[in-house]
Amino acid sequence: MAGQKLYPRATVKKIVKAHSNCNVSKNADVMMFLDYMLFMQTLMKEAAIEAKQGGERGITARSVKKATVDSLAKFRG
Amino acid sequence: MARESRPPDATPTRRASSAEPLPSIGRRSMLRTPGSQARGPPRPQGLSASGRKVAPPTPHARAAFRTIDSRRAAIFTPHRARRKSVREVRDSPRDFLLSLGRVLARSTEVITTSSSPSDEDKGPGSDGAGNDTTLGSISVDYDDDDEELPKRPRLSLPIGDEDDDDSDDIQPHRSVVFDDDNNFTLQSIEMPRRAISEQPGGRFSMGSTRMSDYFNNMNDMLHSEDIGVDSGFFPPTAVLDEGGITMGLDELPSPERLDSDDRRDFGRESDFGIEIPVGEINESTFMIAPQVEESPDRPVADDDQPMYDDYAPLVDQRSDDFDDEDLLGEVPALEDEPTEGRTAALQDETGFETATITRAEARGSMKRTIKVSKYGIEYPSLPPTVVKRLAQNFAKAGGIKGKITPDAMKSIMQASDWFFEQMGEDLQAYAKHAGRKTIDESDVLTLMKRQRQINPNTTPFALAQRHLPRELLQELRMPPPVIPKKRRKAQGGTDDDVT
Repeated sequence: MAGQKLYPRATVKKIVKAHSNCNVSKNADVMMFLDYMLFMQTLMKEAAIEAKQGGERGITARSVKKATVDSLAKFRG
Repeated sequence: MARESRPPDATPTRRASSAEPLPSIGRRSMLRTPGSQARGPPRPQGLSASGRKVAPPTPHARAAFRTIDSRRAAIFTPHRARRKSVREVRDSPRDFLLSLGRVLARSTEVITTSSSPSDEDKGPGSDGAGNDTTLGSISVDYDDDDEELPKRPRLSLPIGDEDDDDSDDIQPHRSVVFDDDNNFTLQSIEMPRRAISEQPGGRFSMGSTRMSDYFNNMNDMLHSEDIGVDSGFFPPTAVLDEGGITMGLDELPSPERLDSDDRRDFGRESDFGIEIPVGEINESTFMIAPQVEESPDRPVADDDQPMYDDYAPLVDQRSDDFDDEDLLGEVPALEDEPTEGRTAALQDETGFETATITRAEARGSMKRTIKVSKYGIEYPSLPPTVVKRLAQNFAKAGGIKGKITPDAMKSIMQASDWFFEQMGEDLQAYAKHAGRKTIDESDVLTLMKRQRQINPNTTPFALAQRHLPRELLQELRMPPPVIPKKRRKAQGGTDDDVT
């Protein structure tokens, strides 16, 4: 975290701008990325639970895919 | 009364046999009786029975105590080890028996403890015969002798009754010591327990092995039940997996989800009804939608649908619903191969769906590629390093130590792409609703509120402080200027100090 940027701000802006066809205000991307972090948190948490339930070691694509559906639904605006 | 009258005759002979101990016992009884005769005898008995801490009144009693203690020690020592190892197992049967014996034997025990077990066996008969020098019998006799007629009936009645009962009850205690008597009484006692437990028939007498067996069996039973439930729960999912490749994956999470406690309950009970999972499948299919949203996925889903005869209708309905939504935003999602990407993008502008369908198949190979949104705008995906760092941090927080496999990273990247796509659509809706063409922080805040990430208890700033580095925090606090500046300064100071 120290020397490294947390995320490329311009990239986030571009992504959202492309999907929304709207401009993104100056600092809105920070909140967006914060939201993304929360999403990733829930996604990985769910994936970890799925992995544990499935008896897997570590997180696998399967567990992530399972968790993705739920997490995306949870983060539906 | 008649019996009581007899013992006094016998007593003098007994006194002669053991002169010293008798008077002491007689003294005790005399001392205790005046307070309450009925109460008097049980007290010493209880004490002796419980701990045998009472000093043995007579040498015979000492010898009896020693023998009993030694035998008990011999018997109990192995059990002690077991107790130490597995306390629960040990506790239930023998402790019950001991406690029962103590409870039942309290009143009678004085007699039993004082006299050697063999003597006691003779004891009840000896009252009439006055055969031996058992201390208990003697003490009783003395009590009877010393105390006058009205007192005797009180003592004699409870004692006599108790003696009979006790002789049965007491024997088990001694029976623990003595094998012969014990077997009968113990067996009689044990049988009902075995029957209740329904565990393997009593092969051996009280043997600790049973206890272990019980416990193991119990555990096994519990585990087996759990397993059975789980097995009942899982198979449908497994079937689903077998049935559908992608769809199965989609459907699986819903039953196992933590969010839906109801589902789990049903699932566990679902041994009876497979139908319940079907209901879940409906929800799950509904949940599938987000994946379906991806333009590439749709054709695949359509292909898969025929595979599921039962599920097909459900999927179709929902797919239709999503199709409406899909028309709005999903079509553009992933433009694959970079070489084709630009040309494909051009094609997409003209005809989105056809291009997306064709590319959906090729999407799997996509890594860093230029993607085109539904509005025909190219957009990059987040750098994998950023996503990976986040994912690993949160995975560690989730308690998973292993690395994230490349396949998992792929799916995570895909999930993040979908997330941003979904977020872009939502933010656009909010901004347009507010009459703006620019997505504002307020839009993001409302989005997070609707996502229930922000509530009165969790402020966006708290979240930001938890997750974001300071520089970004400063950016964040721009909108509400005054308070955030103060915080920023304070934090900046701390940061400087720390760093």
